[in-house]
Amino acid sequence: MKTFQAQVIARRYTLAAALLFGTQGIVALLGAADLIIPDLPSPIPYEYGRSIHLGLAVLWPLIGTMGMVYYFVSEDLDREIFSLRLARWQFWLVLTSSLSIYASLSFRLGRGREYLEGLPWSYAGIALALALFSYNLIRTLVKHKQRITPAAMIMSAGTILLLLFLIPNILTITNPIADEATKFWVVHAWEEMAFELTTAGFLASYLKNTGLAGKKDIEKWLYLEAALTVAAGLFGTGHHYYWIGFPAYWLIVGFTFSFFQLIPVALLVLMVHKGLKKRPKLGNRQKLTLALILSSLFYHVTGASLLGFIITVPWINLYMHGTYITSGHAHLALFGSLGFLVLGGAYYILSRGTQPDHKTYRRGILAVLALNGGLLMMSTALLIAGFLQAYRARYLGMDFMEVNLKLNLYLIARAAGGLLFTSGDLLLVWQILKAWRNSRPAASDS
Amino acid sequence: MRLRTFAWIILLLVGAFLGANITSWKLPYTMPENAREGKTVWQKNNCISCHALFGNGGYVGNDLTKLLERRSEDEVLNYLTDPPVMRPNREHLHPALETADAEALISYLKFLGDIPTLGWPPEPREVRE
Ligand code: HEM
Ligand code: HEM
Repeated sequence: MKTFQAQVIARRYTLAAALLFGTQGIVALLGAADLIIPDLPSPIPYEYGRSIHLGLAVLWPLIGTMGMVYYFVSEDLDREIFSLRLARWQFWLVLTSSLSIYASLSFRLGRGREYLEGLPWSYAGIALALALFSYNLIRTLVKHKQRITPAAMIMSAGTILLLLFLIPNILTITNPIADEATKFWVVHAWEEMAFELTTAGFLASYLKNTGLAGKKDIEKWLYLEAALTVAAGLFGTGHHYYWIGFPAYWLIVGFTFSFFQLIPVALLVLMVHKGLKKRPKLGNRQKLTLALILSSLFYHVTGASLLGFIITVPWINLYMHGTYITSGHAHLALFGSLGFLVLGGAYYILSRGTQPDHKTYRRGILAVLALNGGLLMMSTALLIAGFLQAYRARYLGMDFMEVNLKLNLYLIARAAGGLLFTSGDLLLVWQILKAWRNSRPAASDS
Repeated sequence: MRLRTFAWIILLLVGAFLGANITSWKLPYTMPENAREGKTVWQKNNCISCHALFGNGGYVGNDLTKLLERRSEDEVLNYLTDPPVMRPNREHLHPALETADAEALISYLKFLGDIPTLGWPPEPREVRE
């Protein structure tokens, strides 16, 4: 198979994403320890550690996604990307902007906005990188109009939407209601709309290019799936608007459209199921990639969609909102669904042209199992802790701090799950690094 | 569905969404200057990592949207300028603020308290001592 230069450049994006993910596991573990060990001495206080953790949670999947979009768009169009130079510049821009967020937060300089924790100019840098990205993709699509595939199109649409919804978040917004709403344009519209488009695009290209599913089978309804994703994802943001000072009609809008969010996910599962029904014979590289993709799909259905839908019901949300249940869902959905997928893409891209030997493959599978086990353990502990918070503090009206101080057992279980998770994290990143090194001669950038 | 139809649908949806947001985030009244300053103090000190507003934020401390319904302004001012040890720590104090910053922050919380939140935070069903 032909290798495009864009696919070589995609390697640095996915490698950076994997390394940042490795760092996140360690930072997170320290944060989880801080919550259970009183007076834990730490160079970075908990509140800034949490900010770094949340900042990392949205940015490494973004960087990985950029690489995956370049890789799969050039493969799908069977053409080179419009400008390789822009793609290289974009990489350094998004990487330095992201690193500047972590650096400033380490010095306790931030903006005090959840998830968008860094200083405004860091986000301006990321927005500029996204603008270069969108421009590069649009020019590519225009140049090869005849070859446009639905998968390439929806990945590009996802990219443009990422840019659009980040821009207001560069500004300083004084109106607290607007500030809260625009934050969710990243927390929600990115995760549950734009990244859903890129996810559907990857899965479609992956299945097509590995011969797991026919071109026709997939492309038939990809635009329909994408349009539904955008409609449901956009107005589903309403489930974050229930209590922030928005009018009451958002209770109905948020709930209804969140229900519709389940439909494109079901279509996605159907697409993969159809591909796998053929019981294809796969090499170790494909199998390891598939293990990551199937893990992602599992959490996409359970922790993201089903659990997400339960907590969207307004009178359930009123009691569980902002408890550890939210954190449980956030980990299951953001890492479970998006994180696993990006890691699958990273491994697939970085191992191209090589096959892992038996030992490496076994280690890879072990890492996936540890990540799954750790994630399930962390999230289960968080869901129980959150249920106790909702019931005791919100429903019975017991003192909030009294309730919180009795959650130690669950926070310890969470930290233990985190330890398992981080071991899987480091083991997987190590296998990804090995794949990167072994495939280097085959993929040198000119 | 064709590419062109898809593009139009997306454009219309995004337009409708942005329009609906902008008409929905009107404030009940203009934000006073000291409340604006208070918002900056809130952000500068990264309070959101441990506390929530409108239920969104950290889980270590309580939601502060309607704090001034539970505590008097004096109590809050004292707490912030002369902070106590944070349970379950034995030494670690709650972060402290200068008096002027604490006062601005209280104005901000007062302003937030007037925003209609459709019943957030929820009234407990059984109030226990
Ligand atoms: C891949 C998909 C998803 C991702 C990555 C995701 C991610 C997240 C994250 C990070 C949060 C935490 C926000 C915060 O801290 O304020 C959150 C909250 C929430 N999510 Fe999702 N989510 C996904 C899917 C869904 C779906 C499909 C639904 C509903 C059908 C849903 C419903 C909710 C609700 C209601 C909350 C707010 C919980 C609260 O009130 O505290 N999510 N989600
Ligand atoms: C070793 C594994 C991890 C541990 C121990 C961990 C721990 C934590 C801690 C201590 C918090 C602060 C709030 C809380 O107490 O829940 C948090 C929040 C969060 N983490 Fe993690 N984390 C881990 C992995 C991840 C990963 C891989 C992601 C996503 C890529 C992620 C995404 C988030 C998000 C979105 C929040 C905010 C949740 C909310 O406010 O609703 N975490 N995590």
